[in-house]
Amino acid sequence: MAGKAKIIGTQIFGLALLAIILGLVPPALGFNIYYVLLATIALSVTIMVAAWNIIGGYAGQLDLAAPVYFVIGSFVTTHLLVFYHVIPWIGILVGALAAVALAMVLGYPTFRFGVKEVWYALLTAALVVIMQRIAWFIMTSYYFPILGSNEVYISQYIPEDANPWLYLYFPMNYTIYYYIFLALLVFTVWINLKIKRSKLGYYLAAIREDELAAEALGIDVRRYKLYALMIYAAILGVAGGFHIMMIGILAYKNFDPWLGIVIAVMGIVGGLGSIEGAVMSGLILRTIEEWLRSSFGAVIPGIHYLIYGIIIIIVAILKPEGLAAIINYVKKKLGLIQYG
Amino acid sequence: MMARDIILKVDNVVKRFGGLIAVNKFSMEVRRGEILGLIGPNGAGKTTLFNCITGVYKPEEGEVIFMNERITGLPPHVIIRKGIARTWQKVRPFKKMTALEAVTVGVLLRKSNVDEATKKAKELLEFVGLPKEKFYKLGTELTLVEHKLIDLARALGTEPKLLLLDEVAAGLRPHEMDRLAKVLVKVRDELGITLIVVEHVMRFVMGMSERIVVMHEGRKIAEGTPEEVASNPRVIEAYLGTKPT
Repeated sequence: MAGKAKIIGTQIFGLALLAIILGLVPPALGFNIYYVLLATIALSVTIMVAAWNIIGGYAGQLDLAAPVYFVIGSFVTTHLLVFYHVIPWIGILVGALAAVALAMVLGYPTFRFGVKEVWYALLTAALVVIMQRIAWFIMTSYYFPILGSNEVYISQYIPEDANPWLYLYFPMNYTIYYYIFLALLVFTVWINLKIKRSKLGYYLAAIREDELAAEALGIDVRRYKLYALMIYAAILGVAGGFHIMMIGILAYKNFDPWLGIVIAVMGIVGGLGSIEGAVMSGLILRTIEEWLRSSFGAVIPGIHYLIYGIIIIIVAILKPEGLAAIINYVKKKLGLIQYG
Repeated sequence: MMARDIILKVDNVVKRFGGLIAVNKFSMEVRRGEILGLIGPNGAGKTTLFNCITGVYKPEEGEVIFMNERITGLPPHVIIRKGIARTWQKVRPFKKMTALEAVTVGVLLRKSNVDEATKKAKELLEFVGLPKEKFYKLGTELTLVEHKLIDLARALGTEPKLLLLDEVAAGLRPHEMDRLAKVLVKVRDELGITLIVVEHVMRFVMGMSERIVVMHEGRKIAEGTPEEVASNPRVIEAYLGTKPT
């Protein structure tokens, strides 16, 4: 069908454009280590928002537990490296599987007993705190006696003659990490586009719009919510594994409830169910936050959060549909979509 | 022989809400290929009965038998797979999806390929008579009668053998009702789908049903052709109250 070919063509073009534009960022920053590090963190956050789009945007579940699956990936990768000398590539894979397994164990009863809307949000928010306490317990009672520290400094456990690619260890060279995260972001966006055009995507949208009507059309609501949660967890697990190899310090505080809220807020500001909106929101808001922190954070401590909050309120008032509404308007003008 | 012509059998179904008995030992049989009207005053338990058949509620007593198979208490997504679809009294549109996407969701139950399902959804929307220019409108941009047509097409997409219509005419203007009634008769005649029409609007249901079951306070009080039912004193009493003496 011509229509389908056109859609796929537009998608490939969009992904290529995203890769090229973001690929030009490190040279534009003059490969300055600090700026490239900040840009890499912005990409990492954007990957989380893009993954959140699957559970939050497509399936409509207000999930605040992004740090749980992300840091599980970090934790498993670090643990396997430090205690069993497993290279991060395998650690990341195992970490992602662990994140998916956790999503299944948590998601099955949650959806089985119909926990949704604000209660789902509360439950997932609490989950981050619970995981943080568990991590604190493990790190103080198990890691501390062996490693002599409550935190893990990964560079100490990289063999002297290690192949940097094998160990994902590029000290003071964030440009490589930047491009790894860019590849991961493009992959995540591609998965989003793939889901949206599939049976899964249609079913998740129906669940988001009206669960009862969706179920009456033969959709096993619990099963499809669980699928969305597992895909979300898998992406976060992989991203968390790469992230910890870049940051190099594992601490129990990585399970950060605030981050879970920030990811959801970015997803909502982007426009629920719009992957373009999610990516733009992640990149723009994270950059603004960083800029506000470096410009005003030292003038009056905490003022950057105030300004950041005001920006979000303004967006919510002016464009409740999120950035997606603006993107759809542009797309419509270009004749890429028939509605919106 | 008789059993094969009965597509749905509701046998002594009871559903309570706390102290209130919404459906009280209700039984009825639905014949393959007929349009059965189910009427009754407000609060008679018609919608509750629907929810017991489609699996939204689990009846406390009694059985629901569909094509000689016991389906009592199965979840909605399983029951629809067996071939019982429904539409909603209060429309439940997918607001942020287009008309075409909403119907595609229904078709995907039997066809997993999105492109094929979309093609089928277009045919269904044409069948129920939604104008082509509305196919790409979002749920928020459509009128009530359009929502009712989409709701119907969505249910037809699941390829049902029995379709339960919960007050489809509610809120429609007379000429819109006529348009919908024509579509429903077409659904039965051309697609061979058995219909149960729950209705308040007597003119609508009397005009198209071959048989009518009257429900009052959770029980069946009458059954027969529209003429028989309309002249039944118990039905008149249920609707209008007793004559002052």
